[in-house]
Amino acid sequence: MARLNVNPTRMELLNLKTRTKSAKRGHKLLKDKQDGLMKTFMEIVKEAKSLRKEVEEKLSKAFKNFMQASSMMTPEVLESALLYPSAKVELEVKTKNVMSVYIPYFNLKQEGDILNYGYLQTSGELDISLSAFQELFPSLIKLAEIEKQAERLAAELETTRRRVNALEHKLIPDLEDTLKFITMKLDEAERATKVGTMRVKAMIEAAEAAEAAEAAAAV
Amino acid sequence: MKNNYSIAIVGNKETILGFKALGLKTFNANTTEETVKILFELKKQEIVVDEKTGETKPEYAIIFVTEDLAMGISKDDYKKLSQQALPAIVPVPGSKGATNYGIRRIGQIVEQAVGSDIFKE
Repeated sequence: MARLNVNPTRMELLNLKTRTKSAKRGHKLLKDKQDGLMKTFMEIVKEAKSLRKEVEEKLSKAFKNFMQASSMMTPEVLESALLYPSAKVELEVKTKNVMSVYIPYFNLKQEGDILNYGYLQTSGELDISLSAFQELFPSLIKLAEIEKQAERLAAELETTRRRVNALEHKLIPDLEDTLKFITMKLDEAERATKVGTMRVKAMIEAAEAAEAAEAAAAV
Repeated sequence: MKNNYSIAIVGNKETILGFKALGLKTFNANTTEETVKILFELKKQEIVVDEKTGETKPEYAIIFVTEDLAMGISKDDYKKLSQQALPAIVPVPGSKGATNYGIRRIGQIVEQAVGSDIFKE
């Protein structure tokens, strides 16, 4: 592991200690966030998958009906029949905050009658297929809602996962290595001074002893 | 009204006609390039909510795109289109039938979030 490029001083040691502490705290918080997101995400994705299958099936059927219905009329008649729909859809959107991700909730409002054309030139199948469309439309909105939610959560989960991994596998080990390096360096310096002092003391003592011996010899 | 949005659908003529009757805003596109162009334009359309603060909201909350057209949208374009909370761009099977693109897309989302597609059958 790479050590950080710092001077091995006591000051740096203190700084790095606080940094390690906050990094660990941040890591724990992010990990909790990741777990929380994952829990919500799993629920939503499971629902999305089953709902999509259901909607796709229904929609294919509706299209088939619509195709059959439209084949009984000339394209011009069909188009003019559907040119000015009186039905109106409006969507109310609310957002909910899940672990700092804003996810949308849709609320559909439908107004007016979809069968807004003359019955003379159009076939009865058209009415049936259009009401099939209308019936399935709420679940289509629901699908849009949970797929968008899943998408938003997935994006957030990805960045959170990266952050957690960067902290766990890069920043925290690096900091710890550097801390270890600085403590070792400082200990080494301490021992060096100790040995130095001991040697000086020994030299002084030796000199004093020699002096004493000399004086004794002179007497 | 403050919290109301419109819904749009982009697709070929046969597909969008049915939805037009429901009251959706329909946009006709036959190729992926056309689709991407329309999507960017739709995304740009905004309604001013508050004239004093200049706060705006997107006109469309959901844009449905038929699968055959959605399939060709490049990843970069899709990212640009979908990074905000709204609009939600949702592929739906068109008149040509289901292509499994939607299910695969969910798989991709799972992969992005978890690291691998854990629901794969």
